Amino acid sequence: MSDESQGSQYATGVIQARLGRGAQDVLEAAVVLEAWGGMRATAALSLGSRVVPPKAPGWIPGRFTTEESGRRDSILTEALALIMAILAVASWAGPLSHQVGTSTLEQAIVIALPLTLGLQWALRSRYLSRRSGLACLANDRMIVCALGLLVIEVPLVLLHSYGPLAGMFVAIWVGGTVLARRGWALAYGLLLVGAVVGLRQDVSAYPLLEGLTAVIVVGAVVGVITGGGRSDEPAGRVGRALWAGAIGLALGGLLVGDSSLGWGVHGAFPALALLPSVLGSFWGGYYLWKFYDAVPRGLQGVGLERANERDARGAAMSILLGALLRLLVTTVVLSGVVIGLSQWTSGTNRLSLFVGFGCVALVTMLVNLLESLAFARWAFLAALASVTTELILSKLVLAHSALPGTALIAGTLVGIVVALPPLLRLLMRPGRVLATSLWIQ
Amino acid sequence: MSQTQAAPEIEVTPGVAAPVAPVSSASVLPGHPQPLVPIPLRKVSGRRPSERRPRILMTTEGTYPYAVGGVSSWCDLVIGGLPEFDWQILPIMAGDRRLSPIFELPTHAKMAGQIELWSEGLPRRRLVARRERAAEECLPAKLMRALISWEGSYEDLLEALLWCRRRPDALRRAFRRGRAWGQFIEALEEVLGENHPDAGVAPTLDAVEAARLYQTIYWIARAAGTPTPETDLLHVTAAGWAAIPALVHKQLHGTDMLLTEHGVYVREAYLAAARSPSSQGERFLSSRLARGLSRAAYTAADFVSPVTEANATWERGLGVDPKKIRVIQNGIDAPESYTAPPGNLKVVSVGRIDPLKDVQTMLRVAVEVGRRVPEARFEYWGPPTKGQETYARACEELARQLGAERHFKFMGSTKDPQGVVRDADVVLMTSISEGMPMSILEAMAQARPVVATAVGGVPEVLRGCGIVPPPGDVHGLATGVVTLLRNPQLAARLGERGFARVHRFYTRAACLDGYRDLLGELTSAAMGSA
Repeated sequence: MSDESQGSQYATGVIQARLGRGAQDVLEAAVVLEAWGGMRATAALSLGSRVVPPKAPGWIPGRFTTEESGRRDSILTEALALIMAILAVASWAGPLSHQVGTSTLEQAIVIALPLTLGLQWALRSRYLSRRSGLACLANDRMIVCALGLLVIEVPLVLLHSYGPLAGMFVAIWVGGTVLARRGWALAYGLLLVGAVVGLRQDVSAYPLLEGLTAVIVVGAVVGVITGGGRSDEPAGRVGRALWAGAIGLALGGLLVGDSSLGWGVHGAFPALALLPSVLGSFWGGYYLWKFYDAVPRGLQGVGLERANERDARGAAMSILLGALLRLLVTTVVLSGVVIGLSQWTSGTNRLSLFVGFGCVALVTMLVNLLESLAFARWAFLAALASVTTELILSKLVLAHSALPGTALIAGTLVGIVVALPPLLRLLMRPGRVLATSLWIQ
Repeated sequence: MSQTQAAPEIEVTPGVAAPVAPVSSASVLPGHPQPLVPIPLRKVSGRRPSERRPRILMTTEGTYPYAVGGVSSWCDLVIGGLPEFDWQILPIMAGDRRLSPIFELPTHAKMAGQIELWSEGLPRRRLVARRERAAEECLPAKLMRALISWEGSYEDLLEALLWCRRRPDALRRAFRRGRAWGQFIEALEEVLGENHPDAGVAPTLDAVEAARLYQTIYWIARAAGTPTPETDLLHVTAAGWAAIPALVHKQLHGTDMLLTEHGVYVREAYLAAARSPSSQGERFLSSRLARGLSRAAYTAADFVSPVTEANATWERGLGVDPKKIRVIQNGIDAPESYTAPPGNLKVVSVGRIDPLKDVQTMLRVAVEVGRRVPEARFEYWGPPTKGQETYARACEELARQLGAERHFKFMGSTKDPQGVVRDADVVLMTSISEGMPMSILEAMAQARPVVATAVGGVPEVLRGCGIVPPPGDVHGLATGVVTLLRNPQLAARLGERGFARVHRFYTRAACLDGYRDLLGELTSAAMGSA
């Protein structure tokens, strides 16, 4: 056996002993031989291809691991805050309309609801969906407070009679989102219950709501300052947060765009009717967050030849269908329960209203998914198409429709038609959605 | 500085890659069969009156001014010690966290922006009437092929990187195209099927690994798309990501590029991959990518200035033209006098906790030394490298398992490495990869004897004033430490010789003179031709 051959055998043995496998290529062989074999770099490099095995190693697919994300927690807390706010609206509607007037209350809700959703979407996009969401918000607290005050609250207060009430609603609901994210949802709930009791006891509405607003805003500020700790995680993109805010605004507009719903007119209704679909939407939405984990996990071990193939049964489609199922079942079952409680639903207790809110939940979920895959413009387009259709139908075509919520249903159907095809096209190819949408945003 | 090849000068038009001439070389070693050297370029921009101060754009990767470590200290030394140049710093960092500079920039240095990888930020949008759909769709595949293929084309890489610079706002759209992903997968299958004796046989990849590579290539494109300021010289501090903006700048403006390597980038990347627990596919892709980046950096560099001859050997082996290599050794501010070792049987090591430092071997050395010299104490000063926290925890666990805790302590960071070294009898280093470690120079400057593994420039630096066993040789390292602890006269003599050697060869002034000469030569050539 020649010296050269012996040298190669020795080198191959050293590599095998150190790595537990053959060298990947000549460079790896040289690096290992120098670092652990005591061989000089030039000598190691000169061994060349003699130390590289001619066969491919057996395939061991990689393992995919994800870091714990704070985003699912944030969606839960947001859900909690929104549910409380809805229950508050339902409970306050009667006494408030009695004190401030039905028209004022209705207009205040019509203004406040879209603004609240817009702000919640924007805050979630830039801050609250992050692991250190409160810390990120704390870093920008001055500018956020100033913007909230100058762009939302001051103009509202300067508005007609319903403006100040709308301003308080916005502060109470958005503040509640922050309090819930801080882990103070129970305290927030108790404050809302306290306000309900006060209103039922005929305490004057404005001073009561002003006090409540002040407590919640101060609580939110304190929560942000004390709850974030120090974090070097950067906040989200401003541009993306603005798009998210616009989407939230449009979805809020969808909720109030159909005048047949009668916000503030029909007592606890329609706020209570909204609850089933909201719960369904959040359960479905919560399930959708599996996306970040399940899609790459489902693609593990899938060879390159199938990396760009259609797969209608892939992880992406399965999760979408699972989320839709959860939304549907929850909404249907809970709607039945609410309708069953007939004493609460006097007024517009028509099935069409529940169908309408269910459609809103569906379009919200689809739009949310589009936005989370960074197709913000498409998501906004879907939301805008919904609200535009609804407004046109509500004001021009169906102004005197006997069936409440018809315009809402029509609007949301348009939104679904706009949002669903691109989503399906994308999700049918899980490899593509992972590479081009989930991991490049 | 232009290449010495007798090639026609060409004018660079932004967006069009210059032709590249292959250079035949009998000394080319496996792995880099055909080095490519760009044809000299005539400068067409960046001209300024010659009386102004020369400007140098320094690109860093995960180091200065945001992280501590040998490279950062070197940057600080060179920038602070050469105020005759105007320094512009362009760091490339992971953008998943807000960073505060650790080093304060002197008045003659300023930041030239920063490249944040894996961040959510986007380049500013520009109004471009025409979309280059075809170019966008083939960009990821083109970049991947140029970087991952064993014989990836430098021309293609430059062409793709230049496109990224021209259209930074189109990059996200390009990589989010379904067709781009399809073309990328096809190209990747071709690359994996390549047949080259030196390249071995590629492992099978899955869709997740391909998607990860796709994402990484996206960030390479984003790094290339970042604008760079006008400058007279590009000074790249690692033959990896830091070279990307410089490659584009050089191609656009013909500016000379100097590459300083502290370790050997591709070697360290292969070492890290070899030891990592990641999948075969990930190991393959990360090391191939590092190789692709290094090849490009070596090809583009007009000069390569390793900090030790050992690195130069590797660089020549990797196909760098020997004429381009000029070794400039590190230097430190050595004290005029030294104190005698305290005789406390303390062994210290100063450095980051990192797999490349082979801390686990050090723990085994501590156990063996503890058996033979029970009073010996080991202290490891330094934090874990960012991203190596798991390794640090594994080291602590190993210390418990070996029962080394009685002898060995992880001390955390120190702001006084000289004091730490002064308070020891022996300095120990067990790295499996080094360039020219500052910690060894510091030990020598304090007249402390060193036991260190024979890696990189260590044997060269420690010639005659330390004990240099092979890497991973626990018994050899332990015997070296025990010998010095039991023989204080020998230890003192080696320390004195180290002190003298530092004053003779490795002073800060000598190091700075080396860079002053080289940078002055390169910048004056650039300014003179302007």
